[in-house]
Amino acid sequence: MFRYMRLHKIFIKQDLKKLMEYKVDFLLGAVGFLLEQAVQIFCLGIIFASIPALVYRENGVVQDSWIFNEVLFIYGFSLIPKGIDHLFFDNLWGLGYWIVDKGDFDKYLTRPVYSWFYVLCEKFCVDALGEIIVGVALIIYSTLTMPMEVASAINWWRVLPVLAVMPFCIMIFTSVKTATAAISFWTKRSGHITHMCYMTNDFAKYPAKIYNVFVKTVITYILPFALTAYYPAIFILRGESWWSLPVTVLVSVVLFAVSQFIWNKGISSYESAGS
Amino acid sequence: MKRLIRIYKPFTRAGLLEMVAYRVNFIFFLLGEIMKCFVMFFVWKAVFDSSVEPTLHGFTYDNMVVYIFITFLSGYITYSDGSYVVGKEILDGSIAMRMIKPVNFDMCFLFQELGGKILQLLIVFLPITVGVEAYRWIANGVFMMNIPMFFVYFLSLLLAYGINFFFNVIYGFLAFYLKNLWGTDIIKGVIVGFLSGATVPLAFMGAFGEAIGFLPFASLSYTPVMIYMGMYSAGEIIFYMGLQIVWLLVFAVTSRLVLNSAMKRLVVHGG
Repeated sequence: MFRYMRLHKIFIKQDLKKLMEYKVDFLLGAVGFLLEQAVQIFCLGIIFASIPALVYRENGVVQDSWIFNEVLFIYGFSLIPKGIDHLFFDNLWGLGYWIVDKGDFDKYLTRPVYSWFYVLCEKFCVDALGEIIVGVALIIYSTLTMPMEVASAINWWRVLPVLAVMPFCIMIFTSVKTATAAISFWTKRSGHITHMCYMTNDFAKYPAKIYNVFVKTVITYILPFALTAYYPAIFILRGESWWSLPVTVLVSVVLFAVSQFIWNKGISSYESAGS
Repeated sequence: MKRLIRIYKPFTRAGLLEMVAYRVNFIFFLLGEIMKCFVMFFVWKAVFDSSVEPTLHGFTYDNMVVYIFITFLSGYITYSDGSYVVGKEILDGSIAMRMIKPVNFDMCFLFQELGGKILQLLIVFLPITVGVEAYRWIANGVFMMNIPMFFVYFLSLLLAYGINFFFNVIYGFLAFYLKNLWGTDIIKGVIVGFLSGATVPLAFMGAFGEAIGFLPFASLSYTPVMIYMGMYSAGEIIFYMGLQIVWLLVFAVTSRLVLNSAMKRLVVHGG
């Protein structure tokens, strides 16, 4: 375990050196990302300018509503586990898109570390810091500008259990990427499947109640991105849906086990593509 | 014209075959992208549920659904990745092989991409338009599709593709000088997406949106979509399509200039 941690540190150092070499690349990437988030939030603002609050109705009766600040809070929260996973484990994308396809995967099998770990820690993606910073900034901004009656519902002690569950939230992202990237061991390329699954994450940025039963089930149990965003965020805001925290632990562990199973199956039937 | 088609037909065929070869990748990618539409579908549903008025800035909920999907569709069909191809060919030197042949550099890409578009029209364009029209039919109880207007839309879509194609060729050369396609690509995508009204209709942005409407980006998807939805009067259609033609000419001429000046400075080692 400690050996792996030490190795990871060395890899991160190596990547930071790379970063110093390609400063403009990093800068352009960071600017692009910040711009993307700014535009998204601006558009959310435009949408919300025409309504007082987002309302969920059932048979015409108002069941629940969220003001703009709360939606911003949820949106900001969703960026944090996603950003942390992006920061440390981004290399899985490369696996599905080109590493296996070009025959570069062989090198991971010749080293005396677990292949999955080696793939994970090879790349340290500093660009993701933008995601995390924007997420934290959104949370701070939305709580500071909240009207009194909404802000008073927040109990900051509830942040502690959420922090405790955070590693499991991150594991959900990593497991989904692992499982879908491992498909490339059979098909040579699976980046597009990862992309498809990852896109469901967009659903999780908004209150889960606005979706129909099908979407809600998918984002809670199958590709459980709502567990990484809406549920923990609304738990901090209102103390609602505390059940989601143990469910997150359970679901993420199952998902992780499944992804490891697929990975190891894939490794054993892997055939090199290169020469 | 006949000669042009005879020369470039093999490129179209190659593009089509390439698309067929990578069909699985392309379908999964498509499904992922459509997911975004469904997110917006639910968000707008909640927004319209929350509003006291049935219309927001002239859009009803049904209008909005059509807008989301047709915007996605138009963006998808007019998508052009000439920028990648140009950048890649310059870097690995294979551009030299194209220059010694008696064909036009950008025309090759254009016809190759058109080959892929044929398949996209069949497996993307057709089902989505049928789906959208079926939705409108069920939601309103009447068949809403305006057939002549659909042809005008398609014409506008072709113009939009032309603009996008030349815009991307120019961008490809610029990015080549900037040496960073990934970062600039995100920036380009965000700016184009926002200014073309892909995230929120320009009508929601008031005077600011109206000003954006004159930029070439609105010609990329907002104009055809508005025509499809029947939101433009005859006068507006003529005006905005005229604007599309102007932008198409501007970009076509600029791309030629950029291409010529770049060719003079191009150095290929090996290749």
